[in-house]
Amino acid sequence: MSVTMVNRLGIARAIATLAPLQTRNYATHATGHGRQRRLNTPPDFSKSSLLHQTPQTFSNTPGLPRGGASSRLNLCQAINSALRTALSESNEVLCFGEDVAFGGVFRCTLDLQSQFGDARVFNTPITEQGIVGAAIGMAAEGAKPVVEIQFADYVFPAFDQIVNEACKFRYREGHTGANLGGMVIRMPSGGVGHGALYHTQSPESLFSHIPGVKVVIPRSPSQAKGLLLASILKAKDPVIFMEPKILYRAAVEEVPDELYTLPLDKAEIVKQGADLTIVSYGRPLYTCMQAIAAAEKELGGRTIELIDLRTIYPWDRETVLESVSRTGRAMVVHESMVNYGVGSEVAATIQEQAFLILKAPIKRLGGWTTHTGLAWEKFIFPDVARIYDGIKELMAF
Amino acid sequence: MLRKAHKCYGSVAKSISLRRGYASHPPKARLNIPTDYASTPLLHHSAKSSLANKELSNEARNGTTSRINLFQAVNAALAYALRSDQRVLLFGEDVAFGGVFRCSMNLATEFGDHRVFNTPLSEQGIVGFAAGAAMEGMRPVAEVQFADYVFPAFDQIVNEIAKCRYRAGHNADSMNCGGLVIRMPAGGVGHGGLYHTQSPESLFTHVPGMRVVVPRSPVQAKGLLLGAIASNDPVIFLEPKILYRAAVEHVPAEPYILPLSTAEVLKEGKDVTIISYGTPLYACQSALAAAEKDFKCSVELIDLRTVYPWDRQAVMASVNKTGRCIVVHESMVNAGVGAEVAATVQEGCFLRLEAPVQRVGGWSTHAGLAYEKFNIPDVTRIYDAIRTSLEY
Repeated sequence: MSVTMVNRLGIARAIATLAPLQTRNYATHATGHGRQRRLNTPPDFSKSSLLHQTPQTFSNTPGLPRGGASSRLNLCQAINSALRTALSESNEVLCFGEDVAFGGVFRCTLDLQSQFGDARVFNTPITEQGIVGAAIGMAAEGAKPVVEIQFADYVFPAFDQIVNEACKFRYREGHTGANLGGMVIRMPSGGVGHGALYHTQSPESLFSHIPGVKVVIPRSPSQAKGLLLASILKAKDPVIFMEPKILYRAAVEEVPDELYTLPLDKAEIVKQGADLTIVSYGRPLYTCMQAIAAAEKELGGRTIELIDLRTIYPWDRETVLESVSRTGRAMVVHESMVNYGVGSEVAATIQEQAFLILKAPIKRLGGWTTHTGLAWEKFIFPDVARIYDGIKELMAF
Repeated sequence: MLRKAHKCYGSVAKSISLRRGYASHPPKARLNIPTDYASTPLLHHSAKSSLANKELSNEARNGTTSRINLFQAVNAALAYALRSDQRVLLFGEDVAFGGVFRCSMNLATEFGDHRVFNTPLSEQGIVGFAAGAAMEGMRPVAEVQFADYVFPAFDQIVNEIAKCRYRAGHNADSMNCGGLVIRMPAGGVGHGGLYHTQSPESLFTHVPGMRVVVPRSPVQAKGLLLGAIASNDPVIFLEPKILYRAAVEHVPAEPYILPLSTAEVLKEGKDVTIISYGTPLYACQSALAAAEKDFKCSVELIDLRTVYPWDRQAVMASVNKTGRCIVVHESMVNAGVGAEVAATVQEGCFLRLEAPVQRVGGWSTHAGLAYEKFNIPDVTRIYDAIRTSLEY
């Protein structure tokens, strides 16, 4: 054997015996000095009660069809299933954005162009303003364009189109009844651990300060499919659909195969409790569940209720207020910064409507008021320890 | 012949002002009467009162005043800034001839077209260019013609300007957008409709890295604008457009800087605190005057001035004193300034509050042309909020 061949064999053998990458410090946790980390461990999605590990638990979630066939899908596959279903269901549905044709940078549009053709599923130039502007024009003509903004951080060039055109279209139309229902702007949002300034942002709060558009954030594959189908096929208003990108592969669960929709105006109580209401949405729900599990062990029988807002604007005030009227304590958790975020709106409303029932001030746990720098993400976003501390503080108030 | 023409013109003018629905009010109105800017206590109607302002520089306090309106005050501030610092630039759409609101009158002639100039119709370009100029050490003042048009520049503001200093890391002192001021007329005028009425201040507050300032009067505008130009952080400066001509007061002729991120207590009181900024302050003043008479209470009025980062200490101190709080603003209630202030106040003053913090804002709908006076908080709504708070 030549030297080169020996070398190549040696390298190949070395590669084959490489241990799985354990150097990613954003996917693991430090276990220094032999001490076991108690709270800030990564969530185990395969055991999470927020996900349907078997179809038997579909009955726990209102709106999910039971008894039919289901498949084990992750979030990007569920989105793919929803898009495929919508494209089959109505010829008005279109799907376009940057890199959508080959399958999308997160695989959400895999095989859609080959199935539905490039007149319905196609790429656009790199221009968010153009993508959304074109969608508005098409929706005004009766189409149902489902456009993709590659990362929520890039939606801002389209902000004028969204705020000044899409939001105001139906209002401007007056008596004609014309609207942009069926137009959905999808975007991956939220932190992944290494996204830094421009692949981490969660701008949902900005879209809740202008009337005219719905903002929806699914927590899981089955939720995503139902909410996305509702946004495309049922909504009379344009929808901004923000998909927590870290869940694309991490969240895997049983998802019904058939077409189903979930309501766009209802929050969901994902865990019942009697002594504290936690309101959240998207990825932080998993962190909340971990904190709740740890805290309930030490609360002497007191329990915590967890609500998934699902639709950030217009949000389901009734469900949240009904919950707080029972528990008397509330906390809101989200990734984006505390100031002027969803937490502020929810807290302000709760204190207004449930003032005399509250046993403690409403706590807002959000990102610290700083940018999401690459190295500091795990310190900025609310983690299990912060939520746990918040729970203890509210219970002791 | 001439006299006849003059008489004709006079009667036409009168009938126009009678027909302008937004400038008048129903005959039996008690509360919803248009603000009388000539007598409101929020403006300085004498030189003495203006020069007594403790926040003025010594130079200003020992100088004279002139009776000017908001756009003239902005003009004076810009003129002083351009004169005293060669790095200051002023540009935007139609800025060279004087600006659609006259804020840049005579500045191009005095300072030349390499310092005061027009730009193409491109907000993204105006702001992007300003960001680059600021990073190179200039102190650009970019004008966006109406706040409603700032959105094409949103990416430049949020993703570039706000993050510039943070991104620079060790080089933060040499690479940042400090000194950049983006000025824009904001707020309702009565006939603005969807696209000349918006107040987007709350949208700039959910992204760290910029200051958002809203002046209530000519004196405030001059000092806060000079403060903004001198600031080491980028500033979004929203000028309430209805006040450009309506608000007239004695303004110190000498330069002075008012502090950013400090709220101002305009009127002391002990029963309820009203927090607001910009034009609604005048409606708040009318409402509290009526409320103090009718309910025998005393109301404290605070002007936030800087909406982000806002002066928590002043607001908490006030609510800890009064126990009741109302926040008033033009933009819609959801996720607005009121939400942030209410959420923070209920957290910090929980045990002191006698009543929930009330938010009086625009309803969650668009500012349609015909419905503006029903949408924007008026004197009656604020008066009702005071009563609800006191009777809770």
